[in-house]
Amino acid sequence: MTKTYPKASRPSLDNVSVSIEKGEFVFFIGPSGSGKSTIIKMLLHEVTPNKGRVIVNSKDVTSMRSWKRPHFRRSIGCVFQDFRLLPNRTAYENVAFALEVIGKTKAVARRVVPEVLELVGLGGKEHRYPHELSGGEQQRVAVARAFVNRPLILLADEPTGNLDPDTSIEIMRLLDRINRTGTTVVMVTHDSNIVNQMRRRVIEIESGRIVRDQARGVYG
Amino acid sequence: MRVKYVLSEVLVGLWRNVTMTIAMIITMAVSLTMLGASGLMYRQVDDMKDLYYKNIEVSIFLSQEVSEQQRTDLDAQLKSNPLVKEVIYVNKDEAYKKFQEMYQDAPDLVNAVKPDQLPESFRLKLNNPEQYKDIYDQYKDKEGVDEIVDQSRLLDKIFDVLTAIQNIALAAAIVMAIAALLLVANTIQVAAYSKRREVAVMKLVGASNWFIQAPFVLEAVVAGLIGSLLGLVALVAAKYLLFDGSLKALQGLLSPISWGDILFIFPLMAGVGGLVSAGTAWITLRFYLRV
Repeated sequence: MTKTYPKASRPSLDNVSVSIEKGEFVFFIGPSGSGKSTIIKMLLHEVTPNKGRVIVNSKDVTSMRSWKRPHFRRSIGCVFQDFRLLPNRTAYENVAFALEVIGKTKAVARRVVPEVLELVGLGGKEHRYPHELSGGEQQRVAVARAFVNRPLILLADEPTGNLDPDTSIEIMRLLDRINRTGTTVVMVTHDSNIVNQMRRRVIEIESGRIVRDQARGVYG
Repeated sequence: MRVKYVLSEVLVGLWRNVTMTIAMIITMAVSLTMLGASGLMYRQVDDMKDLYYKNIEVSIFLSQEVSEQQRTDLDAQLKSNPLVKEVIYVNKDEAYKKFQEMYQDAPDLVNAVKPDQLPESFRLKLNNPEQYKDIYDQYKDKEGVDEIVDQSRLLDKIFDVLTAIQNIALAAAIVMAIAALLLVANTIQVAAYSKRREVAVMKLVGASNWFIQAPFVLEAVVAGLIGSLLGLVALVAAKYLLFDGSLKALQGLLSPISWGDILFIFPLMAGVGGLVSAGTAWITLRFYLRV
């Protein structure tokens, strides 16, 4: 697929074709501005390609009407570099909020949220506010929020960008555990350490083109 | 739980920005009061037209030196005129009696006037009071006719004044409505900004668009409805203090405004207030949240 932003001199993505299987763990690497984020945005149906098609969960979302987008998003979990937690809500409330706004009852939240907080290793810290948690713990809350709805795909946009190396590795262990439940994990990163340790599929992008696609790859 | 969530968000939203909320409600209330007043005025003018035109008379006064022949001719012509419903002849004595009744509080005036000095007249009721002009044209140059007086011309002046007041109220309603509209748009923007983190998360996890928008839209609708309630209170106060109070003297002239009229106009005010707020909020959100 190809995506050119209005007013851009060259396409952000130029004739890129990638296929990711269910249950895979994929790293997208490449310098800033190479087009990695555009791929994430396309998977989220935030932007649509000028040419080519985007197929997610065997559904063509290229020409999906925008009013269908909310429901589509429920099958995708997202984690970002800046956590994006609500500061005036506790860890529990942050995760429960994601359930409640898509129509789940409080009873469902009471059953599921403690479970997923336990899974990410935050048992006992449910009632802390984000500012009372460390960066790594905040990112765990974000992962719990992304995973609580059992999405088919987990998108992680530089999830370790704000964390120190040790904490980063803990987050990666967590993502790995989630991947083992059958969830496809797509992660954009600059962290060569992590890529080299994990030894998973690596797709390198430069100036909108794929320059490398390697199973069990390294950062290069 | 979702309904409860939305409602609590509405209350929190209105309270968070309470000065703006008050400004929004006040402008809305003034605008809707003006709209309601204009609507009442419209019904009032209609009622009064019905009431007055039924009883309206055209008087043809005869000159002092009118001859017997001229009088009988006129009488016959008027009786056969298709525009005229009823003709009553009033002679000098009857005119004097009426005059005495009208000015019984001023005996000096009554004593100074002799029956001879008062003109004879024909009092006409027309089938359609608005055809006065035709009668006037037909009879103004007839022999023995002194003057033709039409009560509806006086009434038309009153109605002109009432219509002008009605138009002024409507114009004020529209101007205030524009101010209210801008305040709603601004309030919604501020509300959306203060909740931008929640909105971002909701969009991310796939909350439906109506669920994201509903609290904002309802916030505006609630303000609009409160505004229309205040407008109702203002109209009730106006009836109580003005029409039943200081303007009571004019009650013979103005047809009374009933409580029913005011209650009848309230759904219009509430509907306009609610719909305008909801529409403005929704359009603002489309630009501001892009959901």
